[in-house]
Formats: sequence, structure tokens, C-alpha cells
Amino acid sequence: MSLRVSLLLDAELETAEVKPALDEVASDAGLRDRYTLYGLAGDALRGNPTPDDGFSIRIFERMKREGVKIEPGYDPLKD
Amino acid sequence: MQSVERAYAEKRMAEKEADAELVRLAQRGDERAFQALVVKYQRRIARHVARYVKRANDVEEVVQDAFMRAYRGLASYRGDASFYSWLYRIASNAAFSFLKKNAGEMPVADERSDEGFEPGVTDEQTPERVLLARQIGEAVERAMARLQPELAEALVLFEVEGKSYKEIAEMLGTPIGTVRTRIFRAREFIARRLEPVLGPARDRRW
Repeated sequence: MSLRVSLLLDAELETAEVKPALDEVASDAGLRDRYTLYGLAGDALRGNPTPDDGFSIRIFERMKREGVKIEPGYDPLKD
Repeated sequence: MQSVERAYAEKRMAEKEADAELVRLAQRGDERAFQALVVKYQRRIARHVARYVKRANDVEEVVQDAFMRAYRGLASYRGDASFYSWLYRIASNAAFSFLKKNAGEMPVADERSDEGFEPGVTDEQTPERVLLARQIGEAVERAMARLQPELAEALVLFEVEGKSYKEIAEMLGTPIGTVRTRIFRAREFIARRLEPVLGPARDRRW
């Protein structure tokens, strides 16, 4: 399965394979960790070895706290 | 010349289509798909924002603003540019809004090129965080030095040179399945060596 995580990260899965892979990743902390570590390895190779340190989690928590929803008609490029 | 143009057109198309399915799922309300995009791009977006905003806490606030704007505006994303390009522009706007709102109250980072910019290091970074970033960089470097050359080659072509799997297969004269496996094995080798470095922070990751 970790191979599929690698392909998910690189957008190299077939369209029909993305949702099942996402389902597995979402339900398995070990796979989510792999997704994070693979991404970190790539960023580190590009000279950006910054640890996540809860950064992503805090984004999700703030989105939840503020009840952020998709808003049809809102264009963030004009904001 | 025609083949060069075709290759370039294919590359542009591949860039635009990258993440397309994750974006489509997110647009349909799948929050996990959006989370996967956040985890994938948060470091790159933070690095971009840190060119304009100096304090670490402010960088984090602006990055959060950018991802929230992106989520709110997902319906407006039509795939004319890559998702990352779209996100990058949103992050620029969020940074400029922040600077305008806080004009005169805060130090502003000079617009810097990547060269000479120490990633993730701003005036409020803790020594522990700086040390951890250094340890990550060193662990990756050590792992790459010990990695089988054909695995390292595939990973560098993808992550550093920005080649697609298809291009790498053509360059190395291997089936695309071999490229998939080599990149995966290289990552797994590195990930196993990053785990002890990041150990205590595991519960703070996605």
C-alpha cells in the first residue's frame, strides 16, 4: 500500500484509484505518516527540510473552528 | 523541433492535470482530499510566504489564511493552471493583505530569492526547530549517500529535476513501472531513517 501512497503524492495514480487510496490513507495513521515523510523527503532534497511540527493539523483545526466551507461565487484570486 | 514542442506541451498538460482528481474530490466536499493537498504543499507555501512575512507566527497565520481562502474558493478553480500555481497566487494575495493590514506594526522580510534563504528560519524560530530542520537535512543527505544509485537517480530526477515518471522512464530506458518502484523504494529508505529523527513529533503529524 505504501507504493500507492507514493503514487498518490505524485499524482501518478489512475483517476479511479485515487479515492480508494485516499480512503486507505485516511483510515490508517501509518499510511498518513508515510505520505508526510515522503513529502518531507522531497522537500528536504529541494533544500527545505522544515519539520511539520503540527503545522498541517493546526490548519485543519482552524478551518474546523471557523467553519470554513466551499463558497460558490467566491474567487480567492480577487480577494 | 516538433518533438521538443510536443514534449513541452505534454509536460505543461501533465503539470496542469497533476492533483486533478484530488482537487475534484475536494470540490465535491471530500475534506480528506483537501487535507492531502495541504500536507503536500504546506511547506512550499510557507517558504513562499516567508519571503514577505518575517515572524514565524505570522507566516503560519498567512499560510492558514491562504489554505482557507483556497478551500472557500475551490469552486472557482477551473484547472486552467496547476493547483499549486493557483495556490501560490492565493498565498501571495494573503501575504499582501496581511502586510497591508499590519503596515507599520511589524518588520517585513525583504523579498528574497531562494538562494541564501534558510528555509523555515525566521526571527522567532526556536533553536530546537532549527536543529530539527538541520537534522532532517542531514538524515536525508546520509540516506541518499547510502541509497542504491539507480534508486537515488530516479528520486532526484523526479524531486529535484522536476521530471515526470514518463520522462524518467524514457531517460533511463526502463518501463514506467520500474520508475514507480524505484522512487517508492528510495522514499521508503529515507523515511525509515527520518523516523528516529522525527520520533517525538509523530503525534503532531497528519
